[in-house]
Amino acid sequence: MILQALHELLTPVSLLAIFIGTTSGIIVGGMPGLTATMAVALLIPVTFALQPLTGLLLMGGVYCGAMYGGSIPAILLRTPGTPAAVATALEGYPLTQQGRGGLALKVSVVASFAGGMFSAFILLLTAPLLATFALKFGPPEYFLLALLGLAGIVSMAEDESRLVKALISGLLGLVMAVVGTDPISGMLRYTMGITDLYDGIAFMPALIGMFSISQMLELTGEAGGIVTGEPQLDRLKREPLPPGIGKPIALGSIVGTIIGILPGEGATIAAFVSYNIARRRSKKPELFGKGNPEGIAAAEAGNNGCVGGSLVPTLTLGIPGNSVAAALLGGLLIHGLIPGPELFTRYGVTTYAFILSLFIANVIFLLLGLFMAPYFARISLTPTALLIPVVCLFSVLGSYAMNNSIVDIFIALICGLAAIVLQKTGFSLGALILGLILGPIAETGFAQALIMGHGSYAIFFNRPQAVILWLIILLLLVPPLVQIYQRRRRRSDTA
Amino acid sequence: MTRRQAELLLLCGFLILAVLLYRSTAAYPPTVQNSTARYVRFLGLALGFFSLLELGLWFRKGAAVKAEKLAVAAVPGRFWGLFILLVVYSASLTRAGFYLASAVFLPLAMLLLGARKPLTIVLTTGGVLLFIYLVFARLLAVPLPAGTLF
Repeated sequence: MILQALHELLTPVSLLAIFIGTTSGIIVGGMPGLTATMAVALLIPVTFALQPLTGLLLMGGVYCGAMYGGSIPAILLRTPGTPAAVATALEGYPLTQQGRGGLALKVSVVASFAGGMFSAFILLLTAPLLATFALKFGPPEYFLLALLGLAGIVSMAEDESRLVKALISGLLGLVMAVVGTDPISGMLRYTMGITDLYDGIAFMPALIGMFSISQMLELTGEAGGIVTGEPQLDRLKREPLPPGIGKPIALGSIVGTIIGILPGEGATIAAFVSYNIARRRSKKPELFGKGNPEGIAAAEAGNNGCVGGSLVPTLTLGIPGNSVAAALLGGLLIHGLIPGPELFTRYGVTTYAFILSLFIANVIFLLLGLFMAPYFARISLTPTALLIPVVCLFSVLGSYAMNNSIVDIFIALICGLAAIVLQKTGFSLGALILGLILGPIAETGFAQALIMGHGSYAIFFNRPQAVILWLIILLLLVPPLVQIYQRRRRRSDTA
Repeated sequence: MTRRQAELLLLCGFLILAVLLYRSTAAYPPTVQNSTARYVRFLGLALGFFSLLELGLWFRKGAAVKAEKLAVAAVPGRFWGLFILLVVYSASLTRAGFYLASAVFLPLAMLLLGARKPLTIVLTTGGVLLFIYLVFARLLAVPLPAGTLF
C-alpha cells in the first residue's frame, strides 16, 4: 500500500501541490496575524475542485511550511509570525542583533526539518498505537502539563530576586488569562462590558505588543539598523552549524511529537517545554536569552515536531491535536475521508500518500530555508527609519486580523508599552507570555479535575500519568532552584 | 523617576490587584466556588504573596542599590511620537479605513524616524500597501478595517 501511495505521490501534480502548499505556508507563517489554521481553512473551499489527495497535499504543505515560517520574523524582527515561534524569538533576535541572523535562520530551518521529519516518521509507524495513549490524558494531566510548561519560569531566573519577579510575571500572565468567560459556568469575568473581551485577551495581539511593538519602540533610539555588531551575512553560506545543537534538536523532536499527540495541546507549549528542557540540560545555560543557537534548535524542533504528532489523534480518532489539525480534519471530512481504522485500510493509499508528503514538504522548506536564509537575513540591515513603520503597520494589521477587532490593536499597544516598563524594572516577559498562553489550559484542567474529584486535590496525585508528570516537573524545578541557592551561598561567602 | 521607585509602584499595584482578584471571587456563582473560583483565589493569594516577598527584598536592598533613573526611551521624542502616531492611526482605522489611514501613517512615521528621501518614502509606502492589497485582501480575503467616511 505504501508503494502505491508513493506512486500516487510522485506525480508532477502532487509534487507541485506540495511545493505550492509549503511555499505558501512559509509566507503565511512569516506574517504576524496570518496563521496556519486560517490558511488551511481558506484552502478547504479551493480543494473542492481538486482531487482529494491533491487538496490534502496542499493543506499538509501549508501546515509544515507555516510552522517553520513563523520563525523567520521572530528571529529577524522579534515579531513571532506564529505564537509557537515566541521561544525562538528569545534566542534568535539577540543573534540577529549580533549580526548573526543568518546563522540563526540556518539553525532554525535545520531544527524544523529534523523535528518535522521525526514526527512524520512516528506518525507513519505508530499512529494508532499512540492515539490510545493520548486518550488516557484527562483534565488533571492537562493541568499538570500546563504546570510543566510553567516550570520554565523558574529556569528563566538567575537569582532569588529575579526568581520572585519571574514568578510574579508568570502569575500576571495567568491573571490576564482569566479575563473573559468562565470555562465552567459561562459567567463573564473582568470584561468591563467590552464585548471583544468576552473570549478573553487574545494572546496573539498581546504577543505582538510585547515582542514586536515594544521592540520597535525601543529601536526608535537606534540610528542605523537592528544589527549592533558587525554583520556576518556574507560568511553564512560557508559557516557550519554550531557544535552541540544535535542534542537539543533530538530532544525538541521527541518532546514536540509527544505534546503534539495530546489533543488540544499546541506547538507553542511544545516549543516552550523543549526550550526549557534544553536550557536545563545545556552546558552553557548562562548564554540562554543572549542568543544561544541551542535554544532555537530545541524550540523549532519542538514546534515542528508537533505537526506529525498532532495528526496522530486526528487521523486515527478524529480528535484534532490542535487548531490547524482541526481545520485539516474539516478538509478530510469534506472529501469523505472519515478518520478511523478505514483511513488506514480502505483509504490507505490516500492517507499514506498524505503522510509521506509531509517528508517531501520538510525537504522543500529545508532547501528553501537554506537557500533563502542569507536573503531573509538582509531584512535586519534595513534602516530603522523605514523598517519600524512597516513592522508597526504589520503588527497593527496582525493584531486586528485575528478577530477583526480594533480593541485587539489597543491591547497590543498597551502590552507593548507595559512590556517596556516591566522589562526595564526586571520583570520577565517570557514568563508573562508563558502564563498567558498556558492560563486557559491550566484553569480548565484545574477546574474540571476538581469537579471530577469532588473538590479533592487527591485527583492530581492518584493517577499513574499524573505521578509521572509530577516527577518530570520536579526534575525540571529542582536543578534551577539548587543553582540559585548555590549562587546565593557563593555570593554571601565572598561578601 | 528612579528604577527603584518604579519597582515599588508596580509592586504596590500588583498587591492591590491581588487583593481585588481574591475578593472578586465572592461574586462567582456557587456552582464554581470549588473549581474556577478556587483557581482565581489561588492566583490572588500567590500574586499577593510574591509581591510582598519582592517588597521585602526591595526594602532589604535599601540604600545599597544605586539610584538609577528609569529611562524608558533613548530618544524620548521619537519614542513617544511613534507611540502617539500608533494610537492615532489605530483610532482612525474605523473612520478613515485601512488604506487611507496607513497611507498617512507610514510616511509620517518614516519622517519622524529620520527618513528624508521622498522617493524612498513614497515607494516603500506604495509597495507595502500594494503587497497588503494583493496578499491579504485579494488572495487570502482577510478582512481589513473598513472606514465609515469612505
